[in-house]
Amino acid sequence: MFFKLVLKNASKSVKDYLVYFLTLMFGVCLFYLFNSIDAQTVMLKIDESQKEILKTLVKVVGYVSVFISVILGFLVVYANGFLMKRRKKELGIYMTLGMPKRKISAVIIFETFLIGLLSLAAGIAAGIFLAQGMSAVTAKLFEADLSQFVFTFSKDAFWKTLVYFGVMFLVVVAFNTLSVSRLKLIDLLSAGRRNQRLRIGRLWVSVVIFLVSVGCLAASYHLIETNGMIQFTPEFAASLALGSVGTLLFFLSLSGFLLRVVQSNQKLYFKNLNMFVLRQFNSKINTTFVSVSVICIMLLITIGTLSTGMGISNALSKDLRQSTPYDVSFSAYVGDGVQRKSSNIEQNLKKSGINLADWADRYAQINFYVSDFTYGAFFQKSDWPKELGNFDHSAGATRVNAVSLSDFNKVRKMRGEPPVSLKQDQYGVSCTIDSLLSLYEKNRKTGKKISFGGKSLVPAAAEKAVLMNGYGSFGDVIVPDALLRGRTSVTTILNLNYKPGVNGEAFLKKVKAIHLSAPEQPYDFYDSKAELCARSVGYKVMVSYLALYIGLVFLIAAAAVLALQQLSESSDNAERYGLLRKLGAEEKMVNRALLAQIALYFLLPLSLAIVHSAVGIDVANRVITDVGNMDVLGNIVMTAVIVLAVYGAYFLATYLGSKSMIRQKNLYRRTE
Amino acid sequence: MERILKVEHMEKYYGTRGNVTKAVDDIGFEVGKGEFVGIMGASGSGKTTLLNCLSTIDTVTAGHIYLEGTDITSLKPGRLSRFRRTKLGFIFQDFNLLDTLTAYENIALALTIAKTPPLEIDVRVRQVARALEIEEILPKYPYEISGGQKQRVACARAIVTKPALILADEPTGSLDSKSSRMLLESLEALNGDLQATILMVTHDAFTASYCRRILFLRDGKIFNEIVRGQDTRKQFFGRIIEVQTLMGGENGDVL
Repeated sequence: MFFKLVLKNASKSVKDYLVYFLTLMFGVCLFYLFNSIDAQTVMLKIDESQKEILKTLVKVVGYVSVFISVILGFLVVYANGFLMKRRKKELGIYMTLGMPKRKISAVIIFETFLIGLLSLAAGIAAGIFLAQGMSAVTAKLFEADLSQFVFTFSKDAFWKTLVYFGVMFLVVVAFNTLSVSRLKLIDLLSAGRRNQRLRIGRLWVSVVIFLVSVGCLAASYHLIETNGMIQFTPEFAASLALGSVGTLLFFLSLSGFLLRVVQSNQKLYFKNLNMFVLRQFNSKINTTFVSVSVICIMLLITIGTLSTGMGISNALSKDLRQSTPYDVSFSAYVGDGVQRKSSNIEQNLKKSGINLADWADRYAQINFYVSDFTYGAFFQKSDWPKELGNFDHSAGATRVNAVSLSDFNKVRKMRGEPPVSLKQDQYGVSCTIDSLLSLYEKNRKTGKKISFGGKSLVPAAAEKAVLMNGYGSFGDVIVPDALLRGRTSVTTILNLNYKPGVNGEAFLKKVKAIHLSAPEQPYDFYDSKAELCARSVGYKVMVSYLALYIGLVFLIAAAAVLALQQLSESSDNAERYGLLRKLGAEEKMVNRALLAQIALYFLLPLSLAIVHSAVGIDVANRVITDVGNMDVLGNIVMTAVIVLAVYGAYFLATYLGSKSMIRQKNLYRRTE
Repeated sequence: MERILKVEHMEKYYGTRGNVTKAVDDIGFEVGKGEFVGIMGASGSGKTTLLNCLSTIDTVTAGHIYLEGTDITSLKPGRLSRFRRTKLGFIFQDFNLLDTLTAYENIALALTIAKTPPLEIDVRVRQVARALEIEEILPKYPYEISGGQKQRVACARAIVTKPALILADEPTGSLDSKSSRMLLESLEALNGDLQATILMVTHDAFTASYCRRILFLRDGKIFNEIVRGQDTRKQFFGRIIEVQTLMGGENGDVL
């Protein structure tokens, strides 16, 4: 009998449960999908460094999943609470019929179990299916060979999903049992009657609060712009705090403010059902502004992670071409704690039996010397670009490296560029950062002198040059060779490009073997273009997968909460819409009012989230631009497509569901 | 007297073949302009069904209903809402005011639905509020005013669109006796001063005694009809009770 009741209930309330069920399924699916990356990639033929990155990715996904499961857990408990509220009358009938609370709890538990089991099964099935597609995408990203299709199934991810969601459902069961035990019959039966007291504050108060909130947000934006998202300073914390408070106040006061504005225009206020829609919106905001604010922040996280996450990964790979101009760069350091006597890599390798000329087409060695001044010799603290960090702690405390003009020209020659020349009293600068290049150019114009080895030098043109693979520098000073004579170089760099037809991997293998076996290591480390590229692809996959995982979960969680809120609201409002019809409002008019009401709820948090993220992306972009260029537009378009598709689907489902709900309470039958 | 409403052989059946309930069984009557007609009957006598059919929120099984010459039983659904908002005014037992709107806005709502030019709305709301003596409570929300005041706001909403016919469904059903009296006096005034045509459904003899004419329904049929004529309200009340006793007596379930 109970079993029958449960089944009947579940199938009857399928409409109520649909959004919840689909969200749950989607959550389970994402959870399985990203936790099974390990199994998906096990058969891929990729190199060691990429395997390492994948291992890291799996680990990070594991940590993130804990966090994600907390988010999904909240969603499940919240959604379930909503659905329970909608069924108070039904539970009341059970109680009047004399069903003990224990049995009611049993019915509810069984229902939760049923829905949970179904969504788990469907979600995991969808996850397994999508995992096959994802492994193909991963393979493609890694440019790995995927000639034979292997069906992957991750037992670990399967069990992990079961356990995590199982725990979630247990929590839900606990909540439900608790709420059933607290039920009072009188409340249940009169649950249909809405005797909720409306507290509608004075309108001018909301206008004042609205202005305050806009002020808070503006201050928050200003602080984050000045902070530049580089360091966690009090400014940064203040920006976050002001932003959160501003968002809360914004949604608390927005409806009142809107109402005030529209009321002042009678033509607009009395047009169609505008008055009704605004009043409806205003009446609910006091209870929903917190959740709307949370949804706004969640959307911000979604938009932020999707657009910048992808952006960072693109910037990393795009930048690679610029930052790794050589096939291999070696570097060696001489000084305290190093056994090596000479930093001459070419000779060191020769001693170990590798003649570079056999492998390399072109190669060049550069010696770095340490000067006796810091970047304070070039820049004022006030001119220093904020996104490069605190001047006093970085550039202001760092000695500038020096290279000789002939070494620098060797690099240029290797890259097929004409040599530069310096007069005996001139210095040049080689730098990789655009914003600093313009400052050096300013120095050249003002003729800012430096003193090197007791000699005063005037500036020549600054050059943008990458002196080794992956090299980033605030600037290295280039001086005439004579000034470095007698000094000992601390670090030496050797760049080389392979001869055509040379197997780079074989070369590096040989070099590595020597590095490990020789009593005196010929170099400290090397960066090969091939390995850097492989690693960069790995990072790209890692960052974009993490961004997708976090972004999508936040997106569905936010959209689902909104959808459930609006669906439950619509069923509460069915009588109001019924009244509008009785008063002669056309179906079209009523539907438009419903659409406007739902659209307000969906669009407002999204709009503010877009404004928030526009500021965030702008700042983040400036940070990333220093590393590499971010394809802002492309990422924004892609993020917009994802957000609009998922959010739009929830919006549409909510509207259609609400429409059928307000129509269900049939006009032709008295509802009392 | 100009005829506003004419009901001809109206029938409304519920149920399927073999088990038919005749909620309204071949009813016919007319209401003239400026009349204040009551419809009385016990629960299940078909008075609510009749009202629902008149207000176009339910359809008839057979027969015709003419309002100002239009046969509303043959109107297409698309025209019905237009008909409702231009020709009919509603007063419900439980007021049916929107709790999110102020009294003023509740009244204005009927006008915005009827697509009245926005600039005209204020004038008309204030006019009708003055007539019903509810000007002071206009800026208040329904939860801030008494039941009687709510029902007068509902009256104002019903009359503000200047409908051909006002349909009142147990308007005093949720009110105490003092509020009921005030409301009925308002309705009387609307009927007398503003020439509003009112059709009121009630089962309460006191409420019905404010009408000029009463139709008694029983088991879906018109059982009796009495006209107040020159009677005082007290005398009319006595006659209503007589008819009720007669109806009850025949039924055998009233002592």
